[in-house]
Formats: sequence, structure tokens, C-alpha cells
Amino acid sequence: MSEEVKSYVELKNINKYYGDYHASRNVSFGIEKGKLVALLGPSGSGKTTILRMIAGLENPDDGEIIIDGQVVNDIHASKRGIGFVFQNYALFRYMTVYENIAFGLRVQKWDNAKIDARVKELVSLIGLDGLDKRYPSQLSGGQRQRVAFARALAPNPHLLLLDEPFAAIDAKVRQELRSWLKSMIEKLGITSIFVTHDQDEAVEVADEIIITNQGRVEQKGTPVEIYRDPQTSFTAQFFGQTFFVENYHDFKSFDTVEGTTNAILRPEFLKLTKKNEEKKYTVTIAEGIVQSVDFRGSNFEITVKYKDNIFIAKRTLDEPPVEVGEEVDIFVYRLLVLDGDKVHLLKNRALNEESVVI
Amino acid sequence: MKTKKRKTKNDRVIPGFGLSLGITLTILSFVVLIPLATLVIFTAGMSFPEVIKTITKPRVLASFEVSFLTAFIASVINTVMGIILAWVLVRYDFPFKRLMDGMIELPFALPTAVAGISLTALTSNNGLVGSFFAKFGIKLAYTRVGITIALVFIGIPFVVRTVQPVLEKLDPSYEEAAGVMGADRFTIFCRVIFPEIWPAAITGFGLAVGRCIGEYGSVVFIAGNQPFETEIAPLIIMSKLQEYDYASATAIALAMLIFSFLILFLVSFFQARNSAMIQGRR
Amino acid sequence: MTEKNESKYVKYLLITISVIFLFFFLVLPLFVVVTEAFKKGVDQYLQAVTDEYTVKAALLTIEATFFAVFINTIFGVFAAWSITKFRFKGKKILTTLIDLPVTVSPIIAGLIYVLTFGRQSILYPLLEKYDIKVVFAVPGIVLATIFVTFPFVSRELIPVLESQGTDEEEAAALMGANGRTIFWKVTFPHIKWAFLYGVVLCATRAMGEFGAVSVLSGHLRGKTNTLPLHVEILFNEFQYMPAFAVSSVLVVMAIILLIIRSVIEYKGKKEEE
Repeated sequence: MSEEVKSYVELKNINKYYGDYHASRNVSFGIEKGKLVALLGPSGSGKTTILRMIAGLENPDDGEIIIDGQVVNDIHASKRGIGFVFQNYALFRYMTVYENIAFGLRVQKWDNAKIDARVKELVSLIGLDGLDKRYPSQLSGGQRQRVAFARALAPNPHLLLLDEPFAAIDAKVRQELRSWLKSMIEKLGITSIFVTHDQDEAVEVADEIIITNQGRVEQKGTPVEIYRDPQTSFTAQFFGQTFFVENYHDFKSFDTVEGTTNAILRPEFLKLTKKNEEKKYTVTIAEGIVQSVDFRGSNFEITVKYKDNIFIAKRTLDEPPVEVGEEVDIFVYRLLVLDGDKVHLLKNRALNEESVVI
Repeated sequence: MKTKKRKTKNDRVIPGFGLSLGITLTILSFVVLIPLATLVIFTAGMSFPEVIKTITKPRVLASFEVSFLTAFIASVINTVMGIILAWVLVRYDFPFKRLMDGMIELPFALPTAVAGISLTALTSNNGLVGSFFAKFGIKLAYTRVGITIALVFIGIPFVVRTVQPVLEKLDPSYEEAAGVMGADRFTIFCRVIFPEIWPAAITGFGLAVGRCIGEYGSVVFIAGNQPFETEIAPLIIMSKLQEYDYASATAIALAMLIFSFLILFLVSFFQARNSAMIQGRR
Repeated sequence: MTEKNESKYVKYLLITISVIFLFFFLVLPLFVVVTEAFKKGVDQYLQAVTDEYTVKAALLTIEATFFAVFINTIFGVFAAWSITKFRFKGKKILTTLIDLPVTVSPIIAGLIYVLTFGRQSILYPLLEKYDIKVVFAVPGIVLATIFVTFPFVSRELIPVLESQGTDEEEAAALMGANGRTIFWKVTFPHIKWAFLYGVVLCATRAMGEFGAVSVLSGHLRGKTNTLPLHVEILFNEFQYMPAFAVSSVLVVMAIILLIIRSVIEYKGKKEEE
């Protein structure tokens, strides 16, 4: 609980309704100063609502929002010390890049020399030197995003909020912009929260991820934590490629959890070996028949049938190839056992001594 | 409730809600609400049998007939011509097309009284057009035909301006698809294009009828205002007002209001159903 | 290709029908106005146009048009702002009420105002006490003109503001800009052309309004007579030439406003791109 104490942004039991629609259900979490946090969830999961409530663009019906130790529920958005980057940037269409960035400063009545210095500084920070006389319509998607970023940063906010910052950008540029934004935010050391529905984006960019679903917070943690130790079935399935198996009791060398039969697996949890291949672990949990082998660019995706279960596994191109109909050994490192909405992580007993790094 | 407590002054981030809604409602009250309320109060003071008696007087009924009939015929003409005009303006290129497009707005812009007197001069027995028809013993001005002509003039823009945008947005690949399948131009129009534009045409028709029934300025000169023959309902209201017979004027006005709201309601119902259908199609 | 030919015939046929229709219904009436106006020569024409009562009627028309544009512009901007930038209950009713005046026959509009401000109104004693005359006086004419052109500005602004969304305003508000700054710096550039378009539309209709004004005017020459009403009086007095001369002034004004309107529409579309 010591983490709660040093939270820079904290939400306590937030509830928000739009008419009958319950957009936020008892949302509580804290965010440390300087962290870059992703709010990750499918569309309609309430992530944008949370972000807009932190910004002060929406008000919670119930609960408290605390920024830097101060309850901000009744503080106007403009007094919360935040910068906000809108999903489609909301650049002022009829102002130049320069005027867009300067807007917040003019409103705060900075003197012209200081505004000029600050805008110039930001324009070169975002690498758009020489383009400051352009209008937003004359910029590419990526450039617009940078301008929106600079505009939000201009008045030196303590907290930066970004709503789906990469959604409106071509896939090609997106990758580049992600790393740019991450390094930029790290350089500035500003506490930032961004909303995304793209798990890869969250994993790549964020220090911490908060997973939302149906207005609730499902889990909060570093990307690795969430990946390795999902707490709910939703989180377990939301990340990476997953598949279900039934009757995991059949698998050798696994404990069982009372009252559970199904489990979630990821291809990475599996190791397939040919009958004649050298194995790291002598035990196998089962033997299965290869159903299909598909080339996936950097590896082969192989489906294997064992009883009623279909397993999905990967093999590299360097390993000896397997063929459809071949009998192979299946080794499973770990299982995510489904217990209602909860998930229990079970490790293969054979791994007892080793600590597995995936 | 706890939820109420949190709703404080910063409920809305964008400023100016109170001020702008305040000004909006104030002006709305003076211009629309108070006069409308007075109408309601005044109506409430009238006796229902009296109202019925007023609006069922033969002369009043005849005026309704004239108004509705001419409005209907004029709007039918305008629907047909409106579709043709919209088609010509969207699909074809020819000299002075932009001028023609701009001219469509003329009936909106031209004061109705001016339209009224010039159409009267044009169609009277010694007018440019009227004299031609007079040779065959056909009278235009001061007949129901004259009223219809004035209403056609007034109603020109309605159907054109509702159909035009629909035609513009119509994806030509529909027609091409039908053409590839061997349909001839006429079939394509009837089966592919017409179903797309007719809801807009009906909307335009409804709006035109609504406008035509209430029209006064352009009609009053050309009508001749012969009781039972060419006397329109708005004119009866006008003459009742000049006799300070407010009760009768209001009774007739109410009947007309109900009718125009009915048309409006039908149009919006039709639009809603149609847009639901189009969205459902996706 | 036969199909090409066939559609060519159809094309020329339809264009011809359109041209004939518009010629008879739109061009000829204008032509008649001009020929009738100049029937007795330029001198007579000028005399009719500069007649004392014509000038007074023109001034009253300008006055009523000015007030209608002024009030409806203020109303239109604030109404559009509140309807498009905020969520609140009763929005639908509000928009319906705003559109109501144009769906009502002008004669009925006039009637409603007579009932509201006339002798039998409950407001009448109050008006009399302060010596305010509305019916058969200039205020009535102005009110009627405002009424019949009521939604013209707001109707142009609402769709534009609707499609623009609220992001830019929210962004500006987040940075602490006040309402005035947001409106003038952020919102207004978006609606500039729609705004001008609405104003011109409003002016066009206000200038030509006949029915509602006719009910409320009382037709006092030189006092409560607008140009369209003056046309009516002259025509009914069989002074055809002067009636058409005054009409020609209105036609010129209407055409000028139409041209301005097309220019605005064109510029707005161009800026969009």
C-alpha cells in the first residue's frame, strides 16, 4: 500500500453514468510521478471516459480524482495543470502551427518574447523547424500529432493526457512515432497517461498498463507483469495470442485447482518436440497429432490435436520440420487456469528448480 | 442523491452555456413562445361548436378546397419538374448551367408581391402569355389556373433542392452495375435511380405543399379573390382580420395550422423511416 | 453506340424542357417587371422610384430588414452555440420551436402577433400604459419580419458546428481560454461563410416579406408601408407603371443578394477544400 501514498494521480471509487449507461464502475487506481501509463481496453470499455474525467472534460457522478495530493473534482480543467492531446488532435484549423502552440501561452498572458522563445523551442523539439507558418491542413498526420503534442506541452503541464494518440496515423508512420513519443516523454520526465485499444502499442510504449473492460479496471501492472501473471480471464485473453483447452487435469505433471476444468494457453507456453528430437525435459504432458503447419513469416504455427483439445504452438525455421499427421510430444510450461472471472497461474512441476524466462 | 452533489459549476468545460442558452431562450420567448402562448390562450377562450361552425361555413370550406387543390396540383407539377431540373443540373454539362442553378433560388429571393403582380400582368388577358391563351378562350389570371401558376413559381426550389444533393451523392457504380447486367437506360432510371431519389422528392413535395397552402403574397393578385371560386384560405383570414373578427380568423388559422403540422409530421415521419431503412440496409 | 445516342436525345430533351419551364416561370416574370417599369420612359421610371412615399417605404424596409438580421443573427449564433456545443435536455424541442416560424403561413404569423399585441390581448393594457404601439405600427412590422426569418441564421450554423464537433473548443477551454476567445479565435473561423450565408438569406427574405407584414401594417402610406406593401397599394390603385418600377428596385436588390449568396457559397466551398 506504500504505492498509494506516492501516487501523483489517484482515482478513488469513480462512477460515471451516461443516462442509464454505466460508463465507469468503481474505478480506482494510482499512478506514480514520472510514469508513462497506458489505459488499455477494447472500444466501449470506458478508457476514454476515465481520461476525460482526469482532464476535467467530464465529471464523475461519484468518487474523487486527486492530482498531486489535491482533490480536483471541482477544479476547472484549465486549472488542473494538464496537457491534453485529442484523438484527432483538435488542432485549430484556422491557426498556423506557431499560433496553435502559442495559444495556451497567449491565454495565460505570457509576454510575446517569452511566447516566441517557448514556441521556437517546442517547434525544434518536435523537429518541425521551418514549418511553423503552415496550417494543420498542410501537414501530414504524423506532423499534426507532433504539433498537438507540442501544443499540449507548451504551458509546462505536470501531467500529459493523450487520447488514442496513434489511432489516426498510417501504420507505417505509427511505429516511428511511438518510439519518438516514448523517448520524448522520457526525456521530459512528465507523468503521462495515454489511451489505446492496441495491445502492442501499450506494451511497447508504456511503463505501466491499466486494463479496462466494461467500465471496470481489470488489472494494473507493468506489461511483463500483466503478461506473465494475468489476474482475470479478460486480461489473460486480451494480451497476445491465446487459446482454450478443456480438462487440463489430463495433462501430466500439473497440479489442479479445485472446481476448475478449463485453462488458457499461449503458443509460447508450449514446446513441441519430434519423437526423435533431443528434449530439455524428459516428461511430456501429452502426445498429439499435428493438424496443420502454417508459415507465419518468422516461424511456423502448428496446431496439434490431443483428445478434444487443439493446441497452438510455434517452431522456428531452424528446428527440424514437422509434418501434418506426425505424432509429437507436447510440453507445457505453464497454464492459466480459469476460475470464473479469475485466473490462476500453474507451473509445470518439472520446472520446479528453474526460473523460466519467457 | 450523492450524484447530484458532484454536479457543480464546472459541469461543462466549454464556457458560455448559461449565457448562450439564456439569450437563446429569451429571444425565443419574445418572438415565438409568448405569441404562441397567446394563441393558445385565445383559442382556449373560444367555444368548440363556434369554431366548427366557423370553419364549416360554405365559403370557408370552399376556400380550403381552393387552397389545398391548387397547392396539391402545383406541388405535383413541381415534383415532376423538380426531378427533371435536378437531374439536368447534376448529370449534364451545358453552357450557363451555373446561371440556371442560381436562378432556381429566385422564388426564395424575389419578394412574393413582386412575383404576384408580374405573374398577374403576364397571364392577364392582355399580358404576354395570357393574350395567347385568350385567343382560345382560356383565362389564366383570376382563375384557379392562375393561382396554380403562382404556386408553381413559389414551389420551384423545394423539390430541386432536396433531390439535387441525393443525386450528387448517388454512387455511379450502381448504374454501371445495372448497365453491365444489360439494363437499358429507362429501366436503370426506374429501378435503380428512382428508388434512391423518391424519398427526397416526397420530402420536397411535402415542404412545397406546406409552403403553398400558406402562401399569400404571390397569390392574392393573380387569384381575383372570387368567393367560392378563387378565394384562398389565407385571404379569408386576412379579411376576417380587417373586420376585427379575430375569433373567426383564429378558428380558420387553427384548421390550417393543424393541416400544415400534419404535413410536417408526415414528412418527418417519412424521413425517419427512410433513413432508418437506408441505415438498416448496411 | 446506340445507347450513347439515345441518352444524348434524352439529354437534349430534358435540357430543353428545363429551359422552357424556367423561361416561362422565372425569366418572363422578371422581363415583365422590367418592361412594365420602363413602359413610360426613363424619366417616369425615375420619378416613380424617387417618389416620396417610395423612399419612405424603402427606408422602412431597410429598417425592418436591419432589425430582423440583427436579432436573428444574435439569436442564431447563441442558439447554434448552445445546441451544438453542450448536452442538455429539451434540445429537440428547442430546435423544433426555432424552426416553427417558417412552417407557419405568414398570414397566421401576422394573426398571432395581432392576438398578442392587439386590442383584445391581455398584454394590451400594459402596452397602452407605456404608450407602446405594436399593431399597425413600425414595431409590429419589425416583429413580423423577425418572426418569418427567425431560424435563417441558426439553421445555417447548426449543421456546420455539428460536423465540426467540440474538440477544438474543448482543447481551447482546457488551456484556459474564456468563452469570447474560444468563439472568436477557434469557432468563428469555421462558421464564417455559413454565418454570412445565413445573414444574406435572412436579409433577402426579410426585405421581401409581404403577408405577415401586411397583416400588421395597417397600410399607412409613408408611415407603416414597406416596399412590398407599397407595390401592393400602387397595383391595387391601378398605378401599374409605378408598381412595376418599385418592383424593379426589389428585383435588383434580390438579384444582388442572390449573387452575393452564390459568391459566399462558392468561397465557403473553396475554403473547405
